[in-house]
Amino acid sequence: MSIIAAEHLSKWYGQVIGLNDVSVAVPPGITGLLGPNGAGKSTFMKLITGQLKPSKGSIAVLGAPIWGHPALFHRIGFCPEQDSFYERMTGREWVTALARLNGVTDREATAMAARAIEMVELTDAANKKIGAYSKGMRQRIKMAQALAHDPELLILDEPLSGMDPIARRRTIRMIKDWGRAGKSVLVSSHILHEIESMTANILLINQGRILAEGNVHQIRELIDEHPHTVHIKADHIRTLAREFLADDDVLSLRLEEGAVVVQTARPDAFYARLTELAASGEHGAIHEVTSPDDNLQAVFQYLVKS
Amino acid sequence: MNPEPKNPEPVNLEPRTPSAERRTPSVWGSAARIFDLSLGQMLWSRRSVFLGLLLGGPVVMALTLRIVSTMVTAGFRINGVQAEGASIFGMIVWLLYIRFIVPVLGVFYGTALIADEVEDKTITYLFTRPIPRRSVLLGKYLAYLACTVLLVLPSVMLVFFLIVPTGGSNIAEAFPSLLTDFAMLMVGLAAYGAVFALVGTRLKRPLVVGLVYAFGWEPAVLMFPGYLKRLTVAYYLQALVTHEMPQDSAVSMVLQLFHEVPTVLTSLVCLAGIIAVTLWSAGRAVEQREYVLEQ
Repeated sequence: MSIIAAEHLSKWYGQVIGLNDVSVAVPPGITGLLGPNGAGKSTFMKLITGQLKPSKGSIAVLGAPIWGHPALFHRIGFCPEQDSFYERMTGREWVTALARLNGVTDREATAMAARAIEMVELTDAANKKIGAYSKGMRQRIKMAQALAHDPELLILDEPLSGMDPIARRRTIRMIKDWGRAGKSVLVSSHILHEIESMTANILLINQGRILAEGNVHQIRELIDEHPHTVHIKADHIRTLAREFLADDDVLSLRLEEGAVVVQTARPDAFYARLTELAASGEHGAIHEVTSPDDNLQAVFQYLVKS
Repeated sequence: MNPEPKNPEPVNLEPRTPSAERRTPSVWGSAARIFDLSLGQMLWSRRSVFLGLLLGGPVVMALTLRIVSTMVTAGFRINGVQAEGASIFGMIVWLLYIRFIVPVLGVFYGTALIADEVEDKTITYLFTRPIPRRSVLLGKYLAYLACTVLLVLPSVMLVFFLIVPTGGSNIAEAFPSLLTDFAMLMVGLAAYGAVFALVGTRLKRPLVVGLVYAFGWEPAVLMFPGYLKRLTVAYYLQALVTHEMPQDSAVSMVLQLFHEVPTVLTSLVCLAGIIAVTLWSAGRAVEQREYVLEQ
């Protein structure tokens, strides 16, 4: 049985299609919703949290339609994407006030808030005004309000957005812990490696459609077959280019101002070689390595073509 | 693609905690919690600061009159008629508070009850709770009433104590009418707030529509005989005015235009009806409307 089931689900805003004829069943456990900006992730999130009504088709969450059924939110926790708060309240006041909306007593709400704030490791800052929080703290207090009432399904919209690497690692660990604790989590992101670090089960969404669903490693293999472009800024690009030409996996190579652009069939092996070269300093300093193909949009275009 | 889910175990759809802890609060219970959450936000908003300054206007005016009255021993005359302090206070309550300040408060707060949360993108936190959406509107409406009463009453009291002693009126004698005025102001705030809450949830550009209604439609239709005036809040509120106005004055001439005044009971019943119907309709709009937040 699925925790979220969409049948021919469509949503349009006037002439603009947000989601187009999506049929999907999200299994229990942690599932990643992956797609570039504007792919329809937020529309999907809003539909499964009852903020929007389907234009066509149906959506059921935990076995029941969500639009017009607020009682389901006893069992759902939602962490929205937007960075919006009652800035004048402290983190503790805010989470407690929202916990009270679950129909519990004031004492229970206070205890629920304290437990949730502890879970997101924000106890020390709980009595500070939210307006004084850093971006990472704001993300964590937002998560605290989502899990205060111990929901069985957590829906997290871009929860790692704006977090520093340490907060990011901590949050990923937390999400995995929730999954291990038997909760179901649907987490959206536009960054593949973020989702990969949390779960192997993903939904790929682009242009309002679910392109693929399943194991991230299968999708990764598909992506890895796609020629991968790497842009390298270095001190000695000509000697570096000569080094790369000796590599059988390099499909093409061109020089730009201060950079060498390589297309490779085996990105993992190429990155390993590049790290070795950077560490040896044999060809001077390597300043910057970027890969336009890491942009999910390029991957999706490739997937659609294939 | 589309492999079988790795974990095909059935989901336990039953709540994990005892049902007593998972009870859905009633509309009024939820509204009370929204009220708690919203009152502080509303009281310390920029809007309240601005409208608080507006409410200082009548106080400054009353203070000026009081100072002037100490210099003019003959008292105040309106169109040659001696005006007592209690009558001047009555005029201020009707012309300044009921006909201007109360509609302004109603427009600015009432149309923004839900719009503020949408603009601040905090509505998501309220609409993803196990409470009916209409309770959000109701709680915020109650917070509006409390907030505006807290803003208006000190202003009215100050004006009362500054104005009534001028022209020979007695504070003790006039005090019961102050309580009646308080009640009338609260009814006015409740009625205008409910009407503009409906405007705010149903219409685009609610502030413009609200201002046109309060300061275009209402004064215009009240000037003419006929049934249209029954579509105003002011028509019913005027029946609740207890003050005797100076006769043969400009004000009394203006009041003569409102010659068709319903009884107090009719007014109260109609105002209660207006509040109930508009709030119900606003709540229904909130239940059915999709709020698309700008990203």
